[in-house]
Amino acid sequence: MNQRDAARDELERPPEAQAADPPAMDPRAVEAEPEDELIMHLERDQFVAETSRPVARATLGRRSIAALWALRVFAVAVSLMVVYTFVSQLS
Amino acid sequence: MARLGNRRWSLMWLLVGPGILAMLGENDGPSMIAYASDGAQYGLGFFVPFIPLLFAMAFVCQEMCMRVGAVTHRGYGELVLQRFGPVWGWFAAGDLTLTNLITLVAEFVAIRVGLAYFHLGSVVAVVLGLTLVVFTFSGGRYWRWERIVLGMALFNGLFLVAAILVKPHVGALAGSLDFMPFPGGSFNTLLLLLASTIGATVTPWMIFFQQGASADKGMTPRDISHGRYDSAIGAVLASIFGVGALVAGAALRSRGGAGIQGFAGAGYPQGLSHVVGSGAGTLFALGLIEAGAVAILTISASTAYAAAECVGVTHSFNSHPREAALFYAANFGVALLAALVILIPGAPLLSIALNANVLATVLLPVSLVFMVMLANDRGLMGRHANRRSTNVVGIAVIAFVGICGAAYGIDSFLLATHVIG
Repeated sequence: MNQRDAARDELERPPEAQAADPPAMDPRAVEAEPEDELIMHLERDQFVAETSRPVARATLGRRSIAALWALRVFAVAVSLMVVYTFVSQLS
Repeated sequence: MARLGNRRWSLMWLLVGPGILAMLGENDGPSMIAYASDGAQYGLGFFVPFIPLLFAMAFVCQEMCMRVGAVTHRGYGELVLQRFGPVWGWFAAGDLTLTNLITLVAEFVAIRVGLAYFHLGSVVAVVLGLTLVVFTFSGGRYWRWERIVLGMALFNGLFLVAAILVKPHVGALAGSLDFMPFPGGSFNTLLLLLASTIGATVTPWMIFFQQGASADKGMTPRDISHGRYDSAIGAVLASIFGVGALVAGAALRSRGGAGIQGFAGAGYPQGLSHVVGSGAGTLFALGLIEAGAVAILTISASTAYAAAECVGVTHSFNSHPREAALFYAANFGVALLAALVILIPGAPLLSIALNANVLATVLLPVSLVFMVMLANDRGLMGRHANRRSTNVVGIAVIAFVGICGAAYGIDSFLLATHVIG
């Protein structure tokens, strides 16, 4: 396991498990491979495992969904008008 | 480390990038020719304050993108897909791919127009554009990609130097700040003017790019204030350089400049050369090459972010091409496709380029609505969600862009089908 994998595993562990561990050695004190330089300088918030998991689906009301579809249909319709005008100008 | 050491300027230097690149990337070839065309046709009035106003609107949108990217660490396409479902995610990616492909064709045309001033042809434009795309991959890190493109983007200032060389009347510039005189002409021409100028300032690719780049850069909620400075600096620089192109174009107004429209605007560098001197013409031509080149890099990157985010594979300049094959392939592939179009003999490049901005304006409100929804989503954003004042301005921007785009699309369609005369 290289340093990058170890760092990722550490951050994916539950906080309780991490708290129970003895203080970890400062990763910057470890001599790094060039490709690990970026990982070493990441802040904790940039390295959270949650970014690899999908966010929960939003719950939209019927009116919101209808409004989004209406906007989508309107945008497609106007786009087709622009394309039609473009083609007619060519001919 | 810069944060820990409380080195504010060092931190600022590290964090600027996505906002400036999004704004200066939007000062692309078609946009600068559109501004010069506005100046040549209508003079300074109306557009001198209108261009900064549009960039202020762009700032409102881009600040939201940066904030959502910094808080969620996800790109726009990925977030829409996960939060609202694959249908809306793929619609967003489809809109972006379509408008980006058309816009990229226009960027290659802009490079060709600039190179034509130096008696170089389409093949050189294609080779130059594609080589730059590959060259920026070579750093192997988002940071290096960003710094290379940022360094190139600063040459957008050539338009300002060109404007200084035409020696504009300072009193006339100051006098035009009251939005007058309002452009004349037909209602359809006015709508085209508004739609294409809006499309030259706020576009769907900027939303994908800035959110994706903010996430790729590793920005966090603690970086939001610096991200705001980044976007604001970008908006100020872009509006100054955009007004520079307008002023340079306005120098041609009384000397047949109104006849040099759109991409027939290959005549702008030559026109400036004849009227003002070879220095201004050369700078304008170099500026067009720079504007097209930077936009090729940022727009193809936004396509790559969108494609890889929606498919759910690695999407970062920090990844090796073997780990992020789709990301790099989409980045290069969309640029290659656009490049091939300009090599087709007799392709209607002028019309494609002129309609690219309008199509982007028409599709923009959908992207902006999802952006406002994401920025208001307290489940995602927590205390960083939009304030009421941001929502009021954001909704006003969406309404303005939507009305202008739709009005032009519908009016042109009715004219083309002879429903109205």
